[in-house]
Amino acid sequence: MIIVNSETLNTLDSYSKNKYKYGFVTDIDSEKPRKGLNEKIIKYISSKKNEPSWLLEWRLSSFRKWKKMKEPDWANLNFPKIDYQDIYYYSAPKGFKDKPKDLSEVDPKLIETYNKLGIPLEEQKVLAGVAVDVVFDSVSVATTYKGELEKLGIIFCSIGEAIQKHPNLIKKYLGSVIPPGDHSFSALNSAVFTDGSFVYIPKNVKCPMELSTYFRINSENTGQFERTLIIADKGSYVSYLEGCTAPKRDDNQLHAANVELIALEDAEIKYSTVQNWYPGDEEGKGGIYNFVTKRGLCAGKNSKISWTQVETGSAITWKYPSCILKGDNSIGEFYSVAITNNYQQADTGTKMTHIGKNTKSKIISKGISLGKSQNTYRGEVTFLRKSDKARNYTQCDSLLVGNQCGAHTVPYIDSKNNTAVIEHEASTSKINEDQLYYCRQRGLSHEEAVSLIVNGFCKQVLQELPMEFAVEAQKLVSISLEGSVG
Amino acid sequence: MNILDNYQKNKKNIFFTENKDVQNYREKLLTIFENDRFDRKNNESLKNINLKNFFDFKYKYLVPEEISVINNYQDDNYSIVSINGQCSNFKDDKIEITKILDEDYNDFSKNNIIEKNDHFVNLNSLFLNSGFKIVIKKNNNIKIKISNIVTDDALTIFQKNNYFCEEGSSVSLIEEYENKNNSTSNILNVIKLEKNSKFNHFLIQDNSPNHNLIITSHSSCKKASTYNQKVYNFSEGYVRNFHYSKLLETNSEADLQGIFFLKDNNTSNNKTFVKHLAGECKSNQVYKGILNDRAKATYFSNTHVDQVAQKTEGYQLSKGILLSDNASYFSKPELKIYADDVKCSHGSTIGPIDENAIFYLRSRGMSKIAATKMLISSFINEELSSIDDEQMFQTIQKKLVRYLSKVK
Amino acid sequence: MFLEIKDLSVKIENKNILKSLNLNINKGEVHAIMGPNGSGKSTLANVLAGKEDYEILNGKIIFKDNDLFDLNIEERAQEGMFLAFQYPVEIPGVNITPFLHSAINSKRKRMNQDEIDNLSFAKLLKSKASDLGINIDMLKRSVNTGFSGGEKKRYEILQMSILNPDLAILDETDSGLDIDALKIVTDGVNKLKTKDNSFLIITHYQKLLDYIKPDYVHVMVNGSIVKSGGSEIAAEIEKDGFQKFQ
Ligand SMILES: Nc1ncnc2c1ncn2[C@@H]1O[C@H](COP(=O)(O)OP(=O)(O)O)[C@@H](O)[C@H]1O
Ligand SMILES: [Mg+2]
Repeated sequence: MIIVNSETLNTLDSYSKNKYKYGFVTDIDSEKPRKGLNEKIIKYISSKKNEPSWLLEWRLSSFRKWKKMKEPDWANLNFPKIDYQDIYYYSAPKGFKDKPKDLSEVDPKLIETYNKLGIPLEEQKVLAGVAVDVVFDSVSVATTYKGELEKLGIIFCSIGEAIQKHPNLIKKYLGSVIPPGDHSFSALNSAVFTDGSFVYIPKNVKCPMELSTYFRINSENTGQFERTLIIADKGSYVSYLEGCTAPKRDDNQLHAANVELIALEDAEIKYSTVQNWYPGDEEGKGGIYNFVTKRGLCAGKNSKISWTQVETGSAITWKYPSCILKGDNSIGEFYSVAITNNYQQADTGTKMTHIGKNTKSKIISKGISLGKSQNTYRGEVTFLRKSDKARNYTQCDSLLVGNQCGAHTVPYIDSKNNTAVIEHEASTSKINEDQLYYCRQRGLSHEEAVSLIVNGFCKQVLQELPMEFAVEAQKLVSISLEGSVG
Repeated sequence: MNILDNYQKNKKNIFFTENKDVQNYREKLLTIFENDRFDRKNNESLKNINLKNFFDFKYKYLVPEEISVINNYQDDNYSIVSINGQCSNFKDDKIEITKILDEDYNDFSKNNIIEKNDHFVNLNSLFLNSGFKIVIKKNNNIKIKISNIVTDDALTIFQKNNYFCEEGSSVSLIEEYENKNNSTSNILNVIKLEKNSKFNHFLIQDNSPNHNLIITSHSSCKKASTYNQKVYNFSEGYVRNFHYSKLLETNSEADLQGIFFLKDNNTSNNKTFVKHLAGECKSNQVYKGILNDRAKATYFSNTHVDQVAQKTEGYQLSKGILLSDNASYFSKPELKIYADDVKCSHGSTIGPIDENAIFYLRSRGMSKIAATKMLISSFINEELSSIDDEQMFQTIQKKLVRYLSKVK
Repeated sequence: MFLEIKDLSVKIENKNILKSLNLNINKGEVHAIMGPNGSGKSTLANVLAGKEDYEILNGKIIFKDNDLFDLNIEERAQEGMFLAFQYPVEIPGVNITPFLHSAINSKRKRMNQDEIDNLSFAKLLKSKASDLGINIDMLKRSVNTGFSGGEKKRYEILQMSILNPDLAILDETDSGLDIDALKIVTDGVNKLKTKDNSFLIITHYQKLLDYIKPDYVHVMVNGSIVKSGGSEIAAEIEKDGFQKFQ
């Protein structure tokens, strides 16, 4: 027994030296107005982006709502009060008055940054078949494969651009799934959102490639408040992937994004996230505060929205990608892996609201806690009165590695329909010593064995990711465990 | 009438008013009530509660005229009739029954951290007007039956009972609540188990529609002791079962189980909470409910495993069957785990009676209604078949038949 | 000496399991250990493989000139020790193929050999699998997950033939196998046997030894070896059971 413990401790120790390889800073001049949140800055953002007046009004009214609201406090999270006046709400690489027309106009330093991150912007080098929109601090810097998508009538651009070019779609759908007054973070985002992606897939078009946005926070003390809106018109399909990184900094940085998805009749949206914001160091210093609201509306019959997330980064994660299953026969899915290490805290899960008949939802959540971290699954499944024959299946498993971390499961299950069926299973256990022994007897090191077993534990979720990213995600899982391997 | 007025007016009739500490504690509770927003969404003790019914009441209590009877028939069988929460003193070499003392009361209010937000327990502490203490003496093995009688209409009974199981003792307690008046009983049981003791606690609840029953229990187990609780709720009036267990020392166990049968407009709120504070303990929390008509139920369960509680085994199961369009069931099975060498799990299902099973039975010639009844019985078969007391089994069987006769 | 176990005493949870056990195995030899249930056979196998639950009270084990207690589990495996488990554990979600691939490469790395690439490994795996009558489809599944008892045992032998160990310990690999499977498994063992590797075969039936001819048979009772000799001992046990050794 004694030997096991010391070995395990050694391995744990090596985990905690987690190296965050995306932690570099790009030395680039940026344009920033003063810190602080007030009507002036909102007007500044709006005018920078040349927005119509209704949108400025929308922002200001969101801001007024925000002023009256308190942060939601029910999550299992502990962090010092956020000083909203000590944050920059807008930061753009200098000389970015207009979005560059092509890559030759982009600062070479930026291109280099993305190369370093493994996201080459030159189209020919882009992962085959993936179109990428890149958001650097507050602005979108490049969208690849645009031409090809336009031929199909697909709109894939920054939300700023969409506001200029597709005002009707924006007016109709912005805030339609997440009303600004929903809670304080959605109000905040609605007031100060800077950039993000916009996607519209026309009727009966199956988007032939993965659409991907890559978010990066570079500037110090800068909040990132992106807003993403995806509309899949009748009979269409799109798979969308989001990645994120940030430099290592001693201060905490705020990220409060809003993502709205709308699937009309027979449409399907698959949304995958690999969240790898800077998690802070071994002592819990620094790291991103990630307060994200993601919500999808299955508006039409037979529509489907599927969320897959691999959450390894951020000091604090507060995130519940949800589905409102309004259309009859619509389907919502949530697949999640959340790994917390050192002093990270994650409170994440989903909300499935069954409104329509015959709606189905599935939740698979895998939580892994290491170090001194706290990892909470929080999920709500509701069957409303009219949701005849609705079904939900939920499985949430937690794995504990080390005895100073915590794993928590908090499901809310509410049924108001007597033909609907809910099934929920959850388990918590430590990593299985017999499995470790077996792998090591075959010659794998303790670390390799842990990583293999944890990857196996997460497999149900990882296999939901688009092919190109599944491998990356697997590596990321291993890195979050090992640190030294990265 | 509001809480403060009730308190001011009836202060002199409430227990331990003369005790300074108690008075201070109650002052504090009063300010909690005054400042609380009564958030029904986030406060588990308030979910599905008709606030007006419970927090805007008229205090009324009658000291029972007749003294309750304690019978020691056969050797180890005791039968107690508690009237309006009171019971006469009794003592032999196996048990000792006394009126509740202010030290028993104090002891609880000092450790009452877990329930800051439980307004019903706070009401109980504020208006305490009855209760008793039972000590089961060392190494004895006894059976007790308590009939809880409320004598009049519109009474508000705030009762606190203390049970103390000395080392190596073993007790089986069957409590019956069958009242037909529109009173409200708010009962708090505090149960302490010493080393190697065992407590099998059965609560049979069957009140009429306007009788409200609020039961809260706090059990705590020392080394190798076991607390088993089974709740059978057939009441047509409101019942709240909130049961907390603390496993303080190694090899102790808590098993909190319940079944409830609801119909009409009835509501039942249930909660079980096990705190593992030492290693190598086991816990089990299983609730099953059947809801008909416009009935509503909530079930909160929680397994909390402290950092030192290695080798914990914790299990939770919650099952609900909705028989009608308008019934609703909310469940929240929580795991909070701070130790790594644990095996904890929970399962939860809510749904109608299995259609395939109904179809199967009908294809064998059974009517739909008979099939439904049979499947309801089988749903709780485990809970029924585990009752070894023949008389109790018959009692419960009868109540089940009565409930099923209303199922259409 | 290839493997030398000297005066080994082992305890678990306050219970002495192995008591002053001695055993020597030379290169190229096949040894069989027979003994009743609970005599400590699996304990011996696990102590050799380095399982960490045991407390070594006394004794020394030399393996290929190394003090075995200086090596951890994976180092022993990489040095050429292989244990076919009595009860192979299921590892859901971990695919057989990449699992074995990393295993073989970690061994090659220690031996300063080049890693074997994906393609050659897939070929190797396929051919070994078909030798053992293992369906290729099975290689797509997770390690031991949902396997029948017999499949698990066969899969252990497949791993053995791929890792090509210097010392293979087979812990009751025969139990749970029908006669056809037993033949396939023992064929696999016989094919692998050379003058440079050794086998330690644990069983409590004699049947296995009809197919694999041991050079030595040891009887283990109550944590120590009470008798050693040739294959005639196996026949003796078959006839009279373990009674007379106890
Ligand atoms: N992890 C353990 N904890 C306690 N006792 C054990 C453990 N493993 C084995 N034992 C005991 O050690 C003895 C020998 O077991 P084992 O080596 O498995 O025997 P065999 O393989 O010869 O049947 C048995 O009495 C068994 O119960
Ligand atoms: Mg054995």
